[in-house]
Amino acid sequence: MDNPLVQVNPGLFFWTILTFLALLALLTKYAWKPLLKALEERRATIEKSVEDAKRATAELQQVQVESARLLALARSEASGIVTRSRADADRFGEEMRAKARDEAAAIVKNAEKEIHLETARALAQIRTEAVELSLSIATKLLRRNISAGDNEALINEAIGQFKSVQ
Amino acid sequence: MEVGLVTTMIEQAHAAPQEAHAAAGKFNAGETIIGHVADNPEHPLIHIGPYFGVDFSVTKHVFMVWMVAAITFLTITWLVRRYLKQSDRVPTGGMNALEFVVEFVRDSIAAPNLGKKWLTTWTPLLLTFFFFILTANVIGMIPIFDALALLDHYVLHTGPDSFFQGLLHGGSTATANFNVTAGLAIITFFAIIIAGSRAHGFVQHWVNLVPKGLATPVYFLLIPLEFIGMLVRPFALTMRLAANMAGGHIAILAILSFVFIFTELFASSMAGMGIGFGFSLPLAVAISGLEIIVILVQAYVFTLLSAVFIGMAIHAHH
Repeated sequence: MDNPLVQVNPGLFFWTILTFLALLALLTKYAWKPLLKALEERRATIEKSVEDAKRATAELQQVQVESARLLALARSEASGIVTRSRADADRFGEEMRAKARDEAAAIVKNAEKEIHLETARALAQIRTEAVELSLSIATKLLRRNISAGDNEALINEAIGQFKSVQ
Repeated sequence: MEVGLVTTMIEQAHAAPQEAHAAAGKFNAGETIIGHVADNPEHPLIHIGPYFGVDFSVTKHVFMVWMVAAITFLTITWLVRRYLKQSDRVPTGGMNALEFVVEFVRDSIAAPNLGKKWLTTWTPLLLTFFFFILTANVIGMIPIFDALALLDHYVLHTGPDSFFQGLLHGGSTATANFNVTAGLAIITFFAIIIAGSRAHGFVQHWVNLVPKGLATPVYFLLIPLEFIGMLVRPFALTMRLAANMAGGHIAILAILSFVFIFTELFASSMAGMGIGFGFSLPLAVAISGLEIIVILVQAYVFTLLSAVFIGMAIHAHH
């Protein structure tokens, strides 16, 4: 064939095959194998990362739920403690007040009793002294002997008079 | 690209009176176009052979095949090595682009056709096909040698038989030469046989080529047909790639040739310039844009069809 565009050239054909096979061998060894391996490794790494991230998110969610639960628990417990404390304090105060009231009442009662006793004693003393005084006065006034019977009658009359006076 | 071609054409049209077309005083568009597309076996860079009747000389296209292989290997290996050396392995710059293409070839071309089991076996071959063809196509689009021709014409003035002159003659798109694409297609041809043999055994691979359980007379028709089909596949690969690559370049060169044709027709360089700026240049730029798509598509198609054929041999369910 004369047309240079379709000229058969076995040398070029041979060189092309040889060159291409050499290029194929070199590229496969130095570029394609390492590159495809690296790409596969990276794919695996990314897959693992995504998986890890998913798991971490799930875990975080769980932790959040748990922490919310704990927080609610703590809050209710705290409010329970406060309520209980307040009740305790109220009760304690009430007890203290009651005790104070009782004590005060006891003191007052004691005092009243003492006053009664003292008053009775004083009255008895006054009564005795008044009898003696009356006797001496009567003795001085009468200056006479009167019978023992008269004496007794007079004393009783006098006491009776006192009693009625009182 | 266009500027380089235009200047080379000017040079060819005016500065080489010893050449046939210029000696006749006429611009020969056909010869110029072929000179920019075809190989140049008449002036090889290095004479080797002939051995066994085959001329193993290093022609322009052999040189281009080597250059493409070297550029492909160095660029890709450099990018991959640089990436693997990093401790955190964050892909940047060129590695991102390489990775994108590699993953595309692996996941969109290789995986659907080959299946998971044979993916790692054949992906390197498909990747090498894609990058080799793409690089060869791309280098054909860059007017490196047109720029060198300018440099030679105005500065170096090398002799007609020098190595440098040998570099300047002939097209720079190796994949526009069907000897090159036939070399690539024959590798696909053998890859199909090897893939089928590895998946089903050598004998079973050939048995798989024809469907089982048909009437005997049908096989007299079917076996030759399948045999022809087996040969047609690499032939189609060969012609599709070479013709596409040559065609685009020829179209651009033909359009740019109007500049010189009109210059001669009207004996006025103004006519040529007018056509050049008003018609040839915009159209050549547009076709070059189209060519960028074509070089990608052709690299893709060759790789895809190789994957499909290899996959057919692996998943033969006749």
